[in-house]
Amino acid sequence: MTGSPTIEKISCYHCGDDCLTETYILDDKHFCCHGCKSVYQLLSESQLCNYYTYNDHPGATRARIDRRFDYLSEPSIVSQLIDYTDQQVTMVTFYIPHIHCSSCLWLLEKLNKINPAVHYCRVDFLKKQLNIRFDHHRLNLQQLVELLYDIGYEPLISLQDVIKEQNAATKDHLVQKIAVAGFCFGNVMLLSFPEYFGISAYEQSFRQFFGWLNVLFSLPVVFYSGREYFVSAWQNLRRKSLNIDFPLALGIAVLFVRTVFEVITHTGAGFADTLCGLVFFLLVGKFVQKKTYHHISFERDYRSFFPVAVNTIVDEKEKPIPLSDLHTGYRILIRNNEIIPADAILLKGHALVDFSFVTGEAVPINKTWGEIIYAGGRQTGEAIELEVVKPVSQSYLTQLWNNEAFNRKQDNRMQTFNQKVSKYFTIVLLVIAIASVLFWLPTNINRGIAAFTAVLIVACPCALALSTPFTMSAALSIFDRNLFYLKNTAVVEQLAAIDTIVMDKTGTITTSDNDHVQLNAQLSGIDRELVYNVCMHSNHPLSRMICRYLGSYKRLPVTELTEAAGRGITASVNGYQVRIGSEQHVSGYSRDTSAGTKVHVSVDGNYRGYFAFAHQYRDGLKNINNLEQDYKLYLLSGDQDHERFELIRFFKTTDNLFFNQSPQDKLDFIGKLQQQGAKVMMIGDGLNDAGALKQSDLGIAVTDNVNNFSPGSDAIMDGRSFGRLPAFLQFSKDTVRIIHASFLISLTYNFIGLSYAVTGKLSPLFAAILMPVSTVTIISFTSLATHFAAKKRKLS
Amino acid sequence: MSVIYFLIGCSVVLALIFLIAFFWAQRTGQNEDLYTPSVRILLDDSDDADTEK
Amino acid sequence: MQPEKFYYDNKIVRNFGIATVIWGIIGMTVGLIVAIQLYSPGMNMGNQYTTFGRIRPLHTNAVIFAFVGNAIFMGVYYSLQRLLKARMFSDLLSNIHFWGWQLIIVSAVITLPLGLTTSHEYAELEWPIDIAITLIWVVFGINMFGTIFKRRERHLYVAIWFYIATFVTIAVLHIVNSFELPVSAFKSYMVYAGVQDALVQWWYGHNAVAFFLTTPYLGMMYYFLPKMANRPIYSYKLSILHFWALIFIYIWAGPHHLLYTTLPGWAQSLGIAFSIMLIAPSWGGMINGLLTLRGAWDKVRDDVILKFMVVGLTAYGMATFEGPMLSLKQVNAIGHFTDWIIAHVHVGALGWNGFLTFAILYWLIPRIYKTQLYSKKMASFHFWIGTLGILFYAVPMYWAGFTQGLMLKEFTPEGILKYPNFLESTLRIIPMHVMRSVGGGFYLLGVIVMAYNLVRTAMQGKLVANEAAQAMPLEPLPKAAKEGTWHRTLERKPIQLMIAALIVILIGTFVELMPTLTISSNIPTIAAVKPYTPLELQGRDIYIREGCSNCHSQTVRPFRSETERYGEYSKAGEFVYDHPFLWGSKRTGPDLAREGGKYGNAWHYNHLMDPRLMSPGSIMPNYDWLLTQTLDTTTTVAKINAMRTLGVPYAPGYEKIANRDLDKQAKEIAANLYTDHIKIKNDKEVIAIIAYLQRLGTDIKANKTASK
Repeated sequence: MTGSPTIEKISCYHCGDDCLTETYILDDKHFCCHGCKSVYQLLSESQLCNYYTYNDHPGATRARIDRRFDYLSEPSIVSQLIDYTDQQVTMVTFYIPHIHCSSCLWLLEKLNKINPAVHYCRVDFLKKQLNIRFDHHRLNLQQLVELLYDIGYEPLISLQDVIKEQNAATKDHLVQKIAVAGFCFGNVMLLSFPEYFGISAYEQSFRQFFGWLNVLFSLPVVFYSGREYFVSAWQNLRRKSLNIDFPLALGIAVLFVRTVFEVITHTGAGFADTLCGLVFFLLVGKFVQKKTYHHISFERDYRSFFPVAVNTIVDEKEKPIPLSDLHTGYRILIRNNEIIPADAILLKGHALVDFSFVTGEAVPINKTWGEIIYAGGRQTGEAIELEVVKPVSQSYLTQLWNNEAFNRKQDNRMQTFNQKVSKYFTIVLLVIAIASVLFWLPTNINRGIAAFTAVLIVACPCALALSTPFTMSAALSIFDRNLFYLKNTAVVEQLAAIDTIVMDKTGTITTSDNDHVQLNAQLSGIDRELVYNVCMHSNHPLSRMICRYLGSYKRLPVTELTEAAGRGITASVNGYQVRIGSEQHVSGYSRDTSAGTKVHVSVDGNYRGYFAFAHQYRDGLKNINNLEQDYKLYLLSGDQDHERFELIRFFKTTDNLFFNQSPQDKLDFIGKLQQQGAKVMMIGDGLNDAGALKQSDLGIAVTDNVNNFSPGSDAIMDGRSFGRLPAFLQFSKDTVRIIHASFLISLTYNFIGLSYAVTGKLSPLFAAILMPVSTVTIISFTSLATHFAAKKRKLS
Repeated sequence: MSVIYFLIGCSVVLALIFLIAFFWAQRTGQNEDLYTPSVRILLDDSDDADTEK
Repeated sequence: MQPEKFYYDNKIVRNFGIATVIWGIIGMTVGLIVAIQLYSPGMNMGNQYTTFGRIRPLHTNAVIFAFVGNAIFMGVYYSLQRLLKARMFSDLLSNIHFWGWQLIIVSAVITLPLGLTTSHEYAELEWPIDIAITLIWVVFGINMFGTIFKRRERHLYVAIWFYIATFVTIAVLHIVNSFELPVSAFKSYMVYAGVQDALVQWWYGHNAVAFFLTTPYLGMMYYFLPKMANRPIYSYKLSILHFWALIFIYIWAGPHHLLYTTLPGWAQSLGIAFSIMLIAPSWGGMINGLLTLRGAWDKVRDDVILKFMVVGLTAYGMATFEGPMLSLKQVNAIGHFTDWIIAHVHVGALGWNGFLTFAILYWLIPRIYKTQLYSKKMASFHFWIGTLGILFYAVPMYWAGFTQGLMLKEFTPEGILKYPNFLESTLRIIPMHVMRSVGGGFYLLGVIVMAYNLVRTAMQGKLVANEAAQAMPLEPLPKAAKEGTWHRTLERKPIQLMIAALIVILIGTFVELMPTLTISSNIPTIAAVKPYTPLELQGRDIYIREGCSNCHSQTVRPFRSETERYGEYSKAGEFVYDHPFLWGSKRTGPDLAREGGKYGNAWHYNHLMDPRLMSPGSIMPNYDWLLTQTLDTTTTVAKINAMRTLGVPYAPGYEKIANRDLDKQAKEIAANLYTDHIKIKNDKEVIAIIAYLQRLGTDIKANKTASK
């Protein structure tokens, strides 16, 4: 059970990380930290150790072991979070990123064993959600969350409740409508077979019977399943616009009316089968188009990143208050791993702020007393006190969200191909229909009407309506497989229309995983051993990086270890005096001015050299300059320009590289390009790009873990597939071409049909065959073509 | 062949029963989560759960 | 709030398990016996109760309703409890269900050899047993739904949906196909006649396969396969889709059993179309099952249970692909009535049903006995001998099917039948039949080994009759939480009304039509077609009793090869008085639809006494008991009355003089036989059956076609 017990590496029984120390052991099981150990303890006490039998190391690593959820006793906050409450029970749904295996499922649904006040737990695996019903007399929300936290499943609680939005999204009855349509379709087909294969003379009585049943079945199809087509058609007419739903609604209506008429007057069998089939396929198309990712949210803004509440200090006492009540002048206390919610001045303690989610900058930054720290940074190390100088909404970053870009409706920025063509299509269709009436009218009225209806039936743009959804969803799933997640199918077309690409630097074209350590020092084997042992005792991110860089050595006794937060560590190992940290800390002076983070080392006072932590560009970045023929490329960076010349490797000229860009600058820059008529795609990662992402015609957020925070965007790209960007763009163009092609195909079908229709002679069988055949051709063509295109672009 | 009326009737009624069942399922959220149940059945609830790996 | 402690009922599961194994062995042994009789008729031990015509139904009933039936209940009772986190609704009902079902089977084992049969395939049991089946089925239903209602798990896993479908559909099918009018305690006539009866029978016959041999097993596959492989089903979404698709398509595939018969053309085409459509959902299920094992094939290599599952699923895939193919007219023209069909169903039965059952037994028995399987070696021996058995069975039968199908259609260049004598084709395929019985033997051997293995397993362990478990009780969702806001309910109303309306209307039409449905029929009647004489009627019932229709069809398909061989092809109008229809589904011997007048009475007499006298090499058993047994004429009155109730135009009061006519006709035949120096009393059964055979198809003479 216990993971690979090699001499060197021992992995944590709970989370599977390497155990860097021997200190956490229980029931001869090793743990990497106190957190993991405590979880194990709790579970074993409640006989829940089966948790560890379903999967190896199911737990999450527990860097921090202090828990602060006091704000969850604030009624104002609680009321925002819970789904439902009455005298007895409260129901709440949490988003828990760590849910990942059957063990999680098993444990979370057994919460009751740990605390009987929990009545009922249900996990939704794909959404990573946990729905809990609990007795709020015996357990309040705070205790509940603490319980979850204690077993290693900390819910991600934010004011912008992603969960509720998602659940709200899935409230239409599409599936039911499809079911009804499908059911009726099946039965109507069954009842139409006699017509297809001919009823012998002595079975006429069936005709009526089947006819009536058909009408009966088409009722729910038209008035329930097909309703929204009429609604949408009508609304668009009121808005003086013709969308594809108009001819569809027309087709449905005509089919129905004519069916009823023929059955009543015994003049024919009607088109019930075509009608039901049409609606059924249309709805399936709708369904396919509605592909969504439950585990990703594209709508996050700073509220989902910032804490729900913050600890203020009122006359030497801590008091949690909701973020909304935080005003300038408040003193706030920020502990290790907490986020600074508003621009504030550092009053007390050593701030070592990690801005990775803001700028993408991997390495934490030192701040000293009196400095202003911008909102969005995450404090690492000791607790600090600050004074708020700007309200949350007015802070350096968050003021972005006051920009009108964020009030703009997102999706209809570009008209989709479908919208464009359907207008003309409808007009042409009506013209033909009316023409055919006028042609027959003088000679034969009935035939005229027959022709009119026949035209509307045959030319009903079913295939056209289906080509886009099926192509798009096929494309979407291919992007999906290549770790590129699009918000919805419309984005594919937007992607194809792009002509200008703007990129953020740090975190976007550089990786934010911080394993890129350079050793600029002469370290003997012993030195390495010493450094390793010292760093092992520090939780500082840089120390951990150094440990990982050096690999593991045998443990040595470490004494008189003192860690000066933000400066460095001093310790004696085997009698050696080891100093690790800033130049100031190690050698007493600081003359190095070059950029980049460095950690210096001295042993027994002799300076040995330093570790440098430089940026690492994402592999595949070089593919980017292939884009330069077809696209305008720009780079916007918040940093100094000391990397300008490294970047020339990737960008032929430096004219398009802009540095020292504030979030607002980025937003404005994009706006400027758009005014010049450019279709701009913004690729960014951090909160500081949020404005630009929003302003651009197509915002792509790059992240190394899709479940982590990423700013609101139209698409989320996993850093690993950054190099495939050119392929993605190519492929999106292919998909649009495929849509055009399938449009032509469906047109040809329409013409074939029309040539019959205008004569007024349209047999039900013909219609019943033509409709599905065209549909099937379109569906198979689009999906095949799409996958072929994907192959061509070397997308798995 | 009047028996065909009868058989068709039977089939349609059967189908309707299932259709209604489907609606019940939709309304009571049977189909809201179409992944977790498949994992859930693998977990034993017996007191002395014999969980083979 | 504390979780509730409860106990799973393993005892009932164990019982059904035992029944499965025992009946399996019995049913398959009978199968082996009938198989051998097909090349050495002597295997009937010169005894009418063990003769092919009577025990072939016993074989089918035993394997379908006893072996597979008990296996289903075993699987359902095990998985249902665990999926719903609840003990079965009522132990009493469980036991009634178990013992009732066994009783039904025993009664079948008694009545079928006695020749008490309705002659409807897979529904041979007579009316009292039909009623018993209905009752027990209801008990099962109450027990299942009761458990569903008191469940502790809100979500109904897909397997449960399959079980529900099985219950509902089988109930309807069984009732519809059991509309029969009792004549005596163990004799009844089907309400419908001829074509209509045929359609009903095969609407049932096919759906019985669908909803008894398929849906419950799919349900079990969806539960047990993930458990065995300890990994979730490949795509749960797909499995749900699979279920609903299957449900809505299956019900109408039935008519493909009646291609080229007098069933209306469009009804046949309908059967074909739906059969073709069935490929999609069926394969959906198979693929979902097999893909569940993707990346776990190493497991399959050393886990015999998974091996069984894989072969089972593959067999399912083959059978569900072959089925639609067979329902294509061109293929059907060759395959129908031949051994091809036998091969087809056995691939399904031996592979899919059999192997899944074995896998489940091997997996489940050790668990409820809290022990390990006694011998893995034996199990894998079972697997290999079983697979070998299937091959040895199927391959020769396919071969035999093609051979015979083609031989009977073959013409010489001069345009006359190459093999005018049916017997030639029979003799040609005898070696294949020998091989087939060897295959069957292998398979049976495997089952016996399994039985031993399981017994030893049970002996080394101890049954956990009541397995403890605990789960939270299921509270009703609070109103607000149940996303039922007012506008949604409002939105839902119309469709509900619509459906309600539909049902009402349909039921209305039903009630209205029912009377006309059963009796009147708008089939073109043929003036020449007259009701059977009392003697013929009695003879017909003997024909049914002896199960002649198991080997002899009574419908000539409109092919030149058949009209040449048998005579004018059959017309719907000819069968209007046939309660039940006797078209049969297999031609081990020649078709008899136009048998009347082909040979003299004496020929029939001798042929029944010893077929090999008249046609050397024939594999038809001797029916010498017909020569000695006296015809029971006491039933004539009741039969005439019953027939009249069903719309056969016997003159009022005819029943009183029926026996007089019977004697008169019998005497004539006896006298005619005497001219051929055959001394036989005119009250023997053989007289009656000769009368019937001589009547067959004589109503309309060739080239006097009916108004079609």
